[in-house]
Amino acid sequence: MPSASPSTSSGRPTDLVSRLSSSDRGVRLRALREVKNQIIGNRTKKLAYIKLGAVPAVAAVLADASDGPGPDETCNLLVQSAVALGSFACGVDAGVQAVVDAGALPQLRRLLSSPDEKVVDSGARSLKLIYQSKLAPKYDFLDHENLQFLLSLLNSKNENVTGLGASIITHSCQTSAEQRALYETGVVQKLVDLIGGSVSQRDASLESLTAIIKNNYEVTSKILEFENGRALNLINKFIIDKSPRTRLLACACLIAVRKTSSRYVEDMGLGLKLIHHLLELLEDPGQVGDEASFALSTLIEEKEDLQKLALEANAINKLCIHLQNGLSCPKRFQGILLALANICSKLEICRSKLLALQAFNLVSDALRHDCTDVRVAACICLRSLSRSVKNLSAGYFVNETVIIPLLQLLHDPSIAVQLAALGAISNIVVDFTKHNSNFIHCGGVKQLVELSMAMDPVVRSNSLWALKNLTFLADSKCKEVVLSELTASSLATLIHDPESVVQEQALALVRNLVDGCVDSIDYVFAENGVILDAMGRQLQCASKAEIGIQGMYALSNVASGSKVHKDAVMEQLFQHGGMNAQPFIMRFLHSNDNHLRTASVWVLLNLTTFCPGAAGRLQRLRNAGIISQLKSMVNDPCLDVKLRVRTTLGQCMNYGDSTI
Amino acid sequence: MPVRVVESSAPSQVSGASSGNTLPQACSLLTVGQTFSGTQNVSSLQNEKDEAWRVNVCIQGCDLDHGYLCGTMEALNVPMADTPVVTFWEGEIVDGKNYTFFTGKWEATPEDDIRHWTKFPSFSPLLSRVEADGGKTLDLSSYQYIFMRWKEQYFVNVGEDCGLTIAGFYYVCFSCSDGSISGFYYDPKSSPFQKLELKATNAGRSGFSFSTYEFQ
Repeated sequence: MPSASPSTSSGRPTDLVSRLSSSDRGVRLRALREVKNQIIGNRTKKLAYIKLGAVPAVAAVLADASDGPGPDETCNLLVQSAVALGSFACGVDAGVQAVVDAGALPQLRRLLSSPDEKVVDSGARSLKLIYQSKLAPKYDFLDHENLQFLLSLLNSKNENVTGLGASIITHSCQTSAEQRALYETGVVQKLVDLIGGSVSQRDASLESLTAIIKNNYEVTSKILEFENGRALNLINKFIIDKSPRTRLLACACLIAVRKTSSRYVEDMGLGLKLIHHLLELLEDPGQVGDEASFALSTLIEEKEDLQKLALEANAINKLCIHLQNGLSCPKRFQGILLALANICSKLEICRSKLLALQAFNLVSDALRHDCTDVRVAACICLRSLSRSVKNLSAGYFVNETVIIPLLQLLHDPSIAVQLAALGAISNIVVDFTKHNSNFIHCGGVKQLVELSMAMDPVVRSNSLWALKNLTFLADSKCKEVVLSELTASSLATLIHDPESVVQEQALALVRNLVDGCVDSIDYVFAENGVILDAMGRQLQCASKAEIGIQGMYALSNVASGSKVHKDAVMEQLFQHGGMNAQPFIMRFLHSNDNHLRTASVWVLLNLTTFCPGAAGRLQRLRNAGIISQLKSMVNDPCLDVKLRVRTTLGQCMNYGDSTI
Repeated sequence: MPVRVVESSAPSQVSGASSGNTLPQACSLLTVGQTFSGTQNVSSLQNEKDEAWRVNVCIQGCDLDHGYLCGTMEALNVPMADTPVVTFWEGEIVDGKNYTFFTGKWEATPEDDIRHWTKFPSFSPLLSRVEADGGKTLDLSSYQYIFMRWKEQYFVNVGEDCGLTIAGFYYVCFSCSDGSISGFYYDPKSSPFQKLELKATNAGRSGFSFSTYEFQ
C-alpha cells in the first residue's frame, strides 16, 4: 500500500533526521532548514517526520544551541529549530504531543529572554502555536512566579510576545479562582490596553478576555464597571469591525458577558444585534463561518426569548439553506445542526418552522454521517425536534430511517455519543401513534436493557428513561417485551441502584408498567414480588422527593387494582423499617413537596375506595395515625392535595368514620 | 376530632403589588395519560340524546408555564364515518398570563366568549372581572376550576375529506375536584352550544392510575 514519505532534495528523510544530530553545527543547521521547509503547511510530511523521530532531534538541536557559543550560528540554529517545532505543532495534535514529550517547552520559553529580537519572535510564535492546541499543558496561574512571567509577556513591546501571553490565558484559564487571580494581578487592564493595539493583539485580547469573563459574575461585574465601562465600549465597537474574525471574537466576548450578567446586554438591546451579526458571519466561507454557528448556539442556549428573536431574524431559514446546499466541512455541519437544535429546543413555533422547510430528512441523514461530531449533533437536533407532542402524534419520527442509525449509535464506545442517541430515542419512543412495534422489531428494547446495566450511571439512568417513555400508555405486548428482556430481578436491582437518578427512573418505569390494563399490575408480583418489595424498601429509605414521587405513584397504580393488590400495598406501607419505624407514607405526607404529598394521598385514596376489604384497611391506617394526619391536611395549601384529601376522607365516612 | 372543612372562596383579584404565582395550580387529574369519556350533543337541544356522539379524550401533553395542553379526541359513533374519528387538539389554558378569557381569534368576539363562558356555573364569580379586563387580574391559583379552549388541529386517522369539520373550537371547564369536563363547541357555521360532557375514566380499576413520560 503506498504511503506518504517525505522526499528530499538532499537525501532520504531518515538521513536528514540523522543529520540533525551531526556534531557539525553547519550540517545540523542545513538539515534543520531542509526539514522546516518541507513540513511548513504540509500535514502529511509533518506526520511522516514525526514518525521518524524528527521532533526530539530538533528539540535536542534547540537545547544544544541554547548552551553553545557563536552568536550568528547559534542564533540561526535557535530560530530555525524554534520555527520547525512550531510548525510541527501547528494544526497537528501528534506534533504538539511530540514537542511536549520532547521537553521543548522550557527551552522555547528561555528564548523569550534572548537579547536577539529574531530569537524572541521565533520562540513566541512557536509557543503561541503550541498553546492553540488542547494538548498543550495547562499553565498554572495560581503560581505566583507564573503569574509574574505572564504579566511580563503582556507588558512586552514585542507583539508576538504579548500575543503569546493572551494565548496562554485563552488556553488555560478555566476556573473561577484562576479568573480572579488574573483579574487581581491587573491582567484585565493590560488586555484592555492591548485591544487598542494591532489586529492580532486585539483578537488575542478579545479571546482571552472571554476566557476570564466566562461564568464568573464577580469578574464580569468588575469588568463592566472598569473605567466607566471602557472595556465594554471597546468590545462593542468591534462587533462592527472590518475583520470578520474580530467581529466574531467581539460577539463571543459579549455573549460571555450576557451569559454571566444578562442585565447588561438586555439593557443595551444587544441580544438581537448579536443574532444578526452572527447570522451574517455564518456566510463567511472560512473558519469564522464555521465558528459563528457555535457562538449562536452559546448565545441562545436555554434562552427562550432569544430563540424567538432568532426565529424572527430568519435564523432557521438561513441555517437550513446551508444544510440544503450540502456541507463539506464537518465542523460547519456540526455547528449548524447544534444551532438548529438550540433554536428548536423550547418553542413549538420554531420546530414547526424547521419541519416546514423540509429539513427533517437532512437532519436524519446526518445520523449516518462519517464524522462522529456530526452524528452527535444530529441526535441533539432530533432530540429538540421530537420534544413535541404534536410532531410525535403526527408520526414523524418512529420510522426505520431514524431508528436504525440511532440504535447503531448506542453501540458507539463513546459515552457522549451513547447519551446523545439516548436523548433522541427517549423522545421519539413516546408513542402516541402506536407505532412502537417498529422500535421493538429493530431490537431497541434489547439495546436499552443492555445499557441499563452499563457502568456509567448517566447511561443507566437515560436508558431507563427511554424505557419509561416507551412504556407510557403502551399496550401489554410492549410491556411484556420490556419486562421479559429486563427481568423482574434486574429491575428490582435497578430500584436499589447506588445512584438516585437511576432509582427514580427505575421506579417511574414500574409506574408505567403497572398502568393501563388492570392485569398489568401483576408484573410487580413476578418472581415472588421482588419488584414490589424493592419499591417498599427503597421508599422506606428514599432521600429525595423525586424518588418518593415516582415510587408513590407506582404504589398508587398498584393500589388501584383488586383487593389482593390493595392488601399487598398495605403490607408495603407497614412492613419495612422495623416495629417502631414510622411508615414512609407518614414522612411523605409531611413533605414540603406538593407532588410528593399528592402522590401519597392518591395511594390512600385508592386504598380506601369502595372495594372488598376497605374497612379493614381503613382501620389499620387509622390505627397508624395516618387518617388523623389526613384530617390535618384538609386545608393543605396545595389545591391538588386538598381536593384528594377531602375525597379520601369522604370515602372513609362510608365506612362509619363519623369523626370526619 | 371533627374538622371543619373551609370551603374555597371565589378567585380573588390580584393586587398590584402581588408577585406570587397566579396561574392555575397543577392538577393530577389533568396530566399526561389521563383519559376522559362522555358525549357531545351535536344538537343544541340537550334532550336529543340520540344525537349525541360518544367521545373519548386522552391528554398527551401539558405545559402549565406556557398555558398549553394537547391530546386526542375520539368520536365513536359518528354517522357519516365507518370508523371512530380521532383528532389531535391543542388547548389554551386561561391563566391571565399566557391566555385570557377573550379568545381574540377563531371568529370569536368578546360577546361570543362571554356568552359561552357564562354557560358554566363556575364562571359566574368571575364574570365581572372578565368583563372588565378579560380576567387578567384574577388570581386563579386556588380556584377549583380550570378554563380552557381546545382547538382541533388535524384528523389523526381519516383524511380531511371525511365530511367532518374541525373549524370550530371548544370552550372548556375542567373540575379539579373530580376530573369532570364540560365544554361547548363554537363554530359560527355549526349548531350553537353543542355540549361536551366528559368524566375521568380509570380503565376498569378500583381507583385511579397515573402514567408518565418526560422529554429530554
